[in-house]
Amino acid sequence: MSSSHTGFLSRLFLLLITCVPVFAAAAQDVVLGASVQLIGPVANTGRYYRDSYQFAIDKINAAGGVKIAGQSHKLVLKLYDNQSDVNLSMRQYTQLVTEDKVNLLLGPFASNFALADSAISEKYKVPMVQGGGASDQIFARKFQYIFGTLAPASNYFGSTISMLKLLKPAPQSVALLYADDAFDVSVAEGTRPMLKQAGLNIVLDERYSTNATDFNSLLSQIKSRNADVVLVAGHETEILNFVRQAKSLEVAPKMYSFTVGVPSEDFRKALGKDANYAFGMTPWLPSAELKDRWFGDAEQFAKAYKAKFGYDPDYHAASGAADVETLVQAMEDAGSLDPQKVRDALARIKFESLYGPIAFNANGQIELPQMVIQVQGDNVVEIYGLKGLIKQPKYPMPAWNQR
Amino acid sequence: MDLLAQILVNGVLQGGLYAVMALGLALVWGVLNIVNLAHGAFIMLGGYASWYLYTYLHIDPFLGLPLTAVVMFALGYGIQRGLLNLVIRAPMFNTLLITFGLEVVLTYLAQLVFSADFRTINPPYAGSSLALGPLVLPVARMAAFAVAIILTVGMWLFLLHTRLGRAIRATAQNLVAARLYGVEPRHLYAMTFGLGIALAGMAGTLYGTVSQINPYIGASLTAKSFAISIIGGLENPLGVLVGGLFLGIVESLTTLYIGQTYADVASFGILVLVLIVRPGGLLGRTT
Repeated sequence: MSSSHTGFLSRLFLLLITCVPVFAAAAQDVVLGASVQLIGPVANTGRYYRDSYQFAIDKINAAGGVKIAGQSHKLVLKLYDNQSDVNLSMRQYTQLVTEDKVNLLLGPFASNFALADSAISEKYKVPMVQGGGASDQIFARKFQYIFGTLAPASNYFGSTISMLKLLKPAPQSVALLYADDAFDVSVAEGTRPMLKQAGLNIVLDERYSTNATDFNSLLSQIKSRNADVVLVAGHETEILNFVRQAKSLEVAPKMYSFTVGVPSEDFRKALGKDANYAFGMTPWLPSAELKDRWFGDAEQFAKAYKAKFGYDPDYHAASGAADVETLVQAMEDAGSLDPQKVRDALARIKFESLYGPIAFNANGQIELPQMVIQVQGDNVVEIYGLKGLIKQPKYPMPAWNQR
Repeated sequence: MDLLAQILVNGVLQGGLYAVMALGLALVWGVLNIVNLAHGAFIMLGGYASWYLYTYLHIDPFLGLPLTAVVMFALGYGIQRGLLNLVIRAPMFNTLLITFGLEVVLTYLAQLVFSADFRTINPPYAGSSLALGPLVLPVARMAAFAVAIILTVGMWLFLLHTRLGRAIRATAQNLVAARLYGVEPRHLYAMTFGLGIALAGMAGTLYGTVSQINPYIGASLTAKSFAISIIGGLENPLGVLVGGLFLGIVESLTTLYIGQTYADVASFGILVLVLIVRPGGLLGRTT
């Protein structure tokens, strides 16, 4: 859709009006390059990365910057707006490496972007730490220079499915819906075997096109097949439509869970009271237990972030800030700015951050469990995690006319 | 059986919404010979207008329709007189370029002004529904459908029986003859474009009550409206209604029997078929 939407002319025009003039970094500065979505359909998630990258860099600079071999260097962010266009994003990463000569790369948002852009970092052998793409496809190619801090897409519903066993009455049947992009297809591929293993009956397994607005027919099928549990892997706009149309068609399964939306304030605001009972997941909540070298802990990070930008950070923001910290930690571990040495340091990195413990597996992806969360009234409540049930879920979901 | 009936109902109700979306595009296309690529962006603006009216002034979206229509009409009239009139005699490509540019400007202005956050127009009845045997009929969708019928029939009567409507049709059929009979095309074109944008704005209201609004919904709505206009034909608002209903039903059945990812394949496939078999649209003249 984006290729037809923003043709050459619009890109040229927008490039002219939005490109921020480049300021030359002083010789000893360390420049981190990134291209994120500041306009276009996913701009409201892209902003998490713009804000968290800058936020973390400012904080680290205030604490003296990155210390390499006894010398302090300031960090500088070189950020482009990819206008939610994958092709433009690839060109911008090429430009960051070849013309702007940035030292290291931070990622874009979304799996399809990370999938494409990681080819650039691989080609030029400049490490990229990205916290915006969770699809297993990104890491399945044995690339050496891509590292990811989002929990693997294939396991997004893992904790939710283990929670299902604890629910009473126990759900029997599941409907699985997923959008047709890299991330959501990975989610579906990972979810199916877990459902089978849990002994659940998959009564509907449907792919839908990204940006679909009409879910009435799928909802009618969910209703007629009596699915107890509905799992949807998609984008926020689709899930908004899904929930609104579920209400208007009186489709109320025992529970539904969504890969995105529930953790973000904007989503819950748009749905209002209808967001109630929705399950979701997050690898991160602003807990004081997550200690951090620069921010103190995750709770303080969240407070300072909200005070600065006026909205609550979610796991995208935490992941983005952790990406900057990861690069800094790796440069210090390596004692060098050399991309190859930093890459090797990334491969064996291990430290505590506001986002959680950072370490990568052989493919370069973090292994981070998802917590199950649920909207209960005005709050997002932590329901289930590694240690088991934390709070009682509201289950089964009442019919729409009995709320 | 119940499922099939429900799917057909869904398709018909969706089709009504499609028809309102396409009505304005078809009118402007038929009379001004401009394929307004910014049409979807105007639908988006209408949605925001209603959202603000509802959220801040507590004006019910359906009662606020006339107000939205008037605002959008004025906007459309102004844009035609100030901008589009410059290219009205230019080759088709220029009108495509300028309306495409307009789409880009409106979309990104909308992001600047409204932010990229999602909005929903959510009056208390938006999620309620009526039961008819095993069928569920969503109230907001039925209201949107009723508005679609009223607007289509209203447009049809307006074009057939009012002086202005007849002038619009005359201009579309033969500009020279219409001028000889005292039609002032500049004013008339602006009135038509204003009407088209007013219809787009009202479609935005209906869209916002059943779906969600953000600055980027425009492009796909333009594409859908374009397909419906071709399928239904440009000559007659009733054709657009038929085109919308047809597309709504086809998409619903495709989702049921083949899969949702094929819904667009089906609708654009039909578009191609109609272009080959009945280039004037389902209800158009076959010549």
